[in-house]
Amino acid sequence: MTRLHIITIFLFSLLSSSIIAGGGWPQPKGKGYFKLSEWWLISDQHYTDSGLIDPNITTGIFNTSIYAEYGFSDRLTGVLYFPFLSRTYNNNIVSGTTGEVLTPGEAINGLGDTDISLKYGLTGQGAKVAIATTLTLGLPLGNDSGGSQGNLQLGDGEFNQMIAIDAGTGWSLGNTPFFANAGLGFNNRTKDFSDEIRYSFELGANLFNKKVWAIGRLTGTESLKNGATAETANSTSIFANNSEFLSIGGEIAYNFNEKWGVSIGAASAIRGEIIFASPSYTFGVFTRI
Amino acid sequence: MKNFQWLLYLSMIGLLSSCIGDDIINDEVDPIVRVVNLIDTLQVGTDYQFEASFLNNIGLNEDVPFDWSSSDPSIIAISPTGIASAITAGQVSITATATTDEDTYDQTFSLIAGASTSEVEETSVRTGTISTTSSYELTGEFNITNTDGPLLIDIGEDYRASSALPGLFVYLSNNPNSISGAKEIAEVKVFSGAHQYTVTGVDINKYNYLLYYCKPFNVKVGDGKID
Repeated sequence: MTRLHIITIFLFSLLSSSIIAGGGWPQPKGKGYFKLSEWWLISDQHYTDSGLIDPNITTGIFNTSIYAEYGFSDRLTGVLYFPFLSRTYNNNIVSGTTGEVLTPGEAINGLGDTDISLKYGLTGQGAKVAIATTLTLGLPLGNDSGGSQGNLQLGDGEFNQMIAIDAGTGWSLGNTPFFANAGLGFNNRTKDFSDEIRYSFELGANLFNKKVWAIGRLTGTESLKNGATAETANSTSIFANNSEFLSIGGEIAYNFNEKWGVSIGAASAIRGEIIFASPSYTFGVFTRI
Repeated sequence: MKNFQWLLYLSMIGLLSSCIGDDIINDEVDPIVRVVNLIDTLQVGTDYQFEASFLNNIGLNEDVPFDWSSSDPSIIAISPTGIASAITAGQVSITATATTDEDTYDQTFSLIAGASTSEVEETSVRTGTISTTSSYELTGEFNITNTDGPLLIDIGEDYRASSALPGLFVYLSNNPNSISGAKEIAEVKVFSGAHQYTVTGVDINKYNYLLYYCKPFNVKVGDGKID
């Protein structure tokens, strides 16, 4: 289940940052997009390995992160996802009969696992269909075995490499601009974690005199199920593995002006294996330079 | 930058206020009085000290006062502290009663006053069936065998368990919903087929459940009542 923290953190919060950045569109040279956001999830249930929902001890995950894109050239963009303040906790387990705390809850704070990426535009700026490919390196900066049981994680402890391709396009219906983006990636993971195929679809509309972006988003991860399990691992240090999910979410971004804006969003897995079955939420402030 | 600072402050408040709460589990079980040194016959003219234990409503041993009584003190008398005295040949029922703040609980057993004292034959084998209480696969038969040395827990050939959860441990417990007060046997390393656990220093009658529990994440996976 803790595995799920990591997956949820890195998929939901990273993908949510692509609301008005990322996708198939690299930043123009010298331009950038920066977002400071808070993301959190509190869950007392999870999808099991059979896809059914079971209860678990209530676990909270909070992530304060910076997401940044900067155009080194019109085709090459550097991307950073840096959760500089992460917190995860488990609740106390209390006897309903005596009121006694049977297992004290715990919490840890620190850095989270960080992603650095290079996005390269296969099509030039202004193309009708923008296509870009991205190489992402996942740096295991987060504590992967905190707490007395080693089950509190701010990272998964593995260095992963993901290559992805995005294709996006924009159009207008009347005076309303729309965009759509589709992404597909392969995440190669180390330390006996399962490799993954990741995908996403986004559809957005620019409403209210272009003040508001409303986005719907479908994201998913399909595990290749080639990770270690409790049967094949020699110790419990290999946490739940072979996780996958399909998530639906949405985000609203409000532009104060051409430079500044705020956004709120939510997402939840509607199908999954070994992943929390509760919604996650995010809000943030973004700016463009 | 003021916008970023504003969000940063909000995030800090959110992080600091994300405090640890309480998850309440239903861990109530029926209290049990257990006479731990049973005999079935007491030699006429001799005494015997009975001892009893009390498992409270969460399956933990609790020190409580006991009261002892005989159905016919003219055959076997018993003191309030559990010392039985066989007076003449016959058979009686002995009752050990535990008194708590909430209620009284008892165990009654038959005792013969006869020619010699004989202990109740010790249970040699207890059995049960493991079944899942979650959506994770867990099933199988088991036997617990009393030897001169350790207890042997033999899990049957029909045993199957999901390996999706890390840190699955097996316990002996008197509460099927809690590992509080339970005896941790081992981390589960076998997920199908027959295997055996060895447990030292435990009486075969001490525990009533075999409990499977994902220890790192505090998730009960299944249990088996020990018959």
